[in-house]
Amino acid sequence: MKTSSFTLFSSQRVVTNLVATLFLCFGTSLFLGSPSFAADIEAGKQKAQVCMSCHGPAGNSEIAEIPALAGQTAQAITTSLYHFREGNRKNPVMSPFAANLSNADMNNLAAYFASEKRIPAPYTSSAEALQQGPELAKKYNCVQCHGAALLGQQHIPRVSGQQHAYLLAQLKGFKATTRYDMDGNMSSAASMLKDNEIEILADYISGLR
Amino acid sequence: MHFRRSILSISLMSAVFAFTHISAQAQATKAADPPPAWKQGITAESETSTLHPFSPIFTGTEAKDLQLSKLKVPAGFKVEVYADGIPEARSMAVTDNGTVIVSNRLAKNVFAIVNNNGKKEVKTILRGMNSPNGIAIIKGTLYVAERDRILRFDDVEKNLDNMPAGKVVVDGIDPTNGPGHFWKVLVAGTDGKLYFNIGSPQNITSPNYMQAAIFRVDPDSGQMERIATGVRNSVGMAFHPVTNKLYFTEHARDWMGDNIPNDELNVLTKEGENFGYPFCHQGDIADPIYGKYSTCALSTPPILKLGAHVAPLGIRFYTGKMFPAEYKNNIFMARHGSWNRNTKQGYDVMRVVLDGKGKVVKYEPFLTGFLTDEKADPPMWGRPVDVQVIADGSMLVTDDYNGVVYRISYSK
Repeated sequence: MKTSSFTLFSSQRVVTNLVATLFLCFGTSLFLGSPSFAADIEAGKQKAQVCMSCHGPAGNSEIAEIPALAGQTAQAITTSLYHFREGNRKNPVMSPFAANLSNADMNNLAAYFASEKRIPAPYTSSAEALQQGPELAKKYNCVQCHGAALLGQQHIPRVSGQQHAYLLAQLKGFKATTRYDMDGNMSSAASMLKDNEIEILADYISGLR
Repeated sequence: MHFRRSILSISLMSAVFAFTHISAQAQATKAADPPPAWKQGITAESETSTLHPFSPIFTGTEAKDLQLSKLKVPAGFKVEVYADGIPEARSMAVTDNGTVIVSNRLAKNVFAIVNNNGKKEVKTILRGMNSPNGIAIIKGTLYVAERDRILRFDDVEKNLDNMPAGKVVVDGIDPTNGPGHFWKVLVAGTDGKLYFNIGSPQNITSPNYMQAAIFRVDPDSGQMERIATGVRNSVGMAFHPVTNKLYFTEHARDWMGDNIPNDELNVLTKEGENFGYPFCHQGDIADPIYGKYSTCALSTPPILKLGAHVAPLGIRFYTGKMFPAEYKNNIFMARHGSWNRNTKQGYDVMRVVLDGKGKVVKYEPFLTGFLTDEKADPPMWGRPVDVQVIADGSMLVTDDYNGVVYRISYSK
C-alpha cells in the first residue's frame, strides 16, 4: 500500500506540471502544424514534449497515478486520446489536452511513444502477488487479450510494468463501471474480480519487467 | 369457486417452489462465479484461447494511406474512396437529396456526407449519443436507434448544421443494460414502421421476453410489437423489393469451434416466427447446453448458411440501374469478419442471388482483399459494415476499421 503522503506529493506535482504544461501547450501550438501524412515519429516527439511533464521523460512516468506511455501500443494510445477528445473518457487533467489534438497529432504522438523503450518505474511486487498473480491473470482472461506477457496488442494496452496506482484505479473503475469502456469488455472482465484480487493483480502486473 | 381456489393454490405452490428452486440455482451459480457475457459457454479447451476482439482505428486512415490496390471486384467494377475521416463508420441511410448519413457503434456521433457541387463534405450532425448504431430515414425524418431508445429528427436535410433535440419514439429498449449485444440496427419498412433488433445479452444464455428478438415500432404511436424470436443478434435487415419479406442476418454463438455454427441469412415468413436461439443453431445443430430443452424442428432454419464466424452485418437488395441486369434484386452483404476463429474469414462483401421463389441460387464474393493473412493478427486492413445503393446506382460500403466509405461503380 502506498502512503497518503506519497499520493499528496504526486497530486501537487501534477498540478505544478499542469501549469507549466498549459504554458508550453499554447506556446508550441503556434509553431507546430498538423502534418497530413501518415504517422510521423519526429513530429510526434516534438508534440510530446508537453505530455512528458506528467507522463515522464520519453513517456516513462515517474508518478504513480499517471500511466507510462513509452513502449505502449500505438493504437492503444490513439484510442485513449480519441475518447478523451470526444468526451467519452473523462479526466480533469487529461481531457483539456486531448481537446485540441487533431487525428494526425494523435497518430504522431502514438507512433512516437510506441517507439520509445519502456523503463518501468521501480516497483517490487509482494510475495503474495508473485505467487497468485499469474494464476489470476489467466483465470480472469487478462492474458487472453493483453497477451501472455501482458505487453498488449493493437488497441489493447500494455499493462506489464505499468504504474501501480494507475492500474489499481483503472481496475476499480472498470469494476464499478465508472471508467469509460468503449465495448464493455473490460467492465465485463473486471466485474468478476473480488476487491482483494484487484489488489493482487495490480501489485503483480506493476512489478512485471 | 373451490375449483378455482385449488388452481390458485397449486399455482402459488409452484410459484414458491420455482422461486426457491431459482434461488438455490442462483446461489449455486454465484458460488461458481458466472463468466462474463462474451465468455458464456466457453469450452475447457478454449479456456487458453488467445483470440481477442479487434477495434476500429478511431483516428482513421486517410484515403491516400489505404491499400486500395489490394481490393478486388468483378470485371467492369471499380472501387474508390467516397469519403474518409468518419471515425468508426457503421450504418448508412440516404436522404432524398443524396446526403449520406453515417452512424457509430462504439463512438457517439452521427455524420452526414454532403455533396457540395461535386465536393464532398463530412459534417458531425449529432454528438454524445449512446451507441447510435441504427439509422433509418422515412419521409425526410431521420430515426436514430441508440442502445436504449429510438429518437426522431424531423426534416433532417434542412437541419444538418443545427440539429434540434431528438424526440423520443420509444424508450426502454435496452433490457440488458450491460455488456453484450446492446447495439441496434434500424430499417424502415414499406408500412412506414421501424424494424430493429434486441440482441441476446450474452454469447449463449436463455433470453427474456425482450431479448434475442426482432421488433417493429410505429413511429407515430410508439406502439411496439415483437415479430421474430430466437434471433441471437441480427444487425443487418432489408425488405425484398418484390415480395416485401424481411430478410435478416444473424450472428451465431461463439465457442463451438472454428467451423460451427454457421452465421445465418433468414427470412421472416410470418409474424412471431421463431429462429431457434438458444436451443438450435443454423437450423440443425442442437446447442450443447440448451439443446436438450427443445428441438430444431420447432424453429425456422436459415435460407443460407453463411460460414462460421463471418459476422454478417448490413444487407441491401440491389435496386439501382448502374450494375448489369443480373444484379437486379441481388442481396449484397457486408461481412465484418469475426475475432472468434483461429483461421480468419469474412472481411468482405458477398453477393447472394435468389431465384423467383426466393431460393438462394448463388453465394459468392463481390468485394474482397481486406483479408490479407488469415493467420495474422490482425488478419485484415479493413472491415466492411454496411452497404447502401445510392441514386446513381453505385453502391457505398462503410469500413469502420479505417473510418472510410467506399464507392463501387460499374461501367462496360
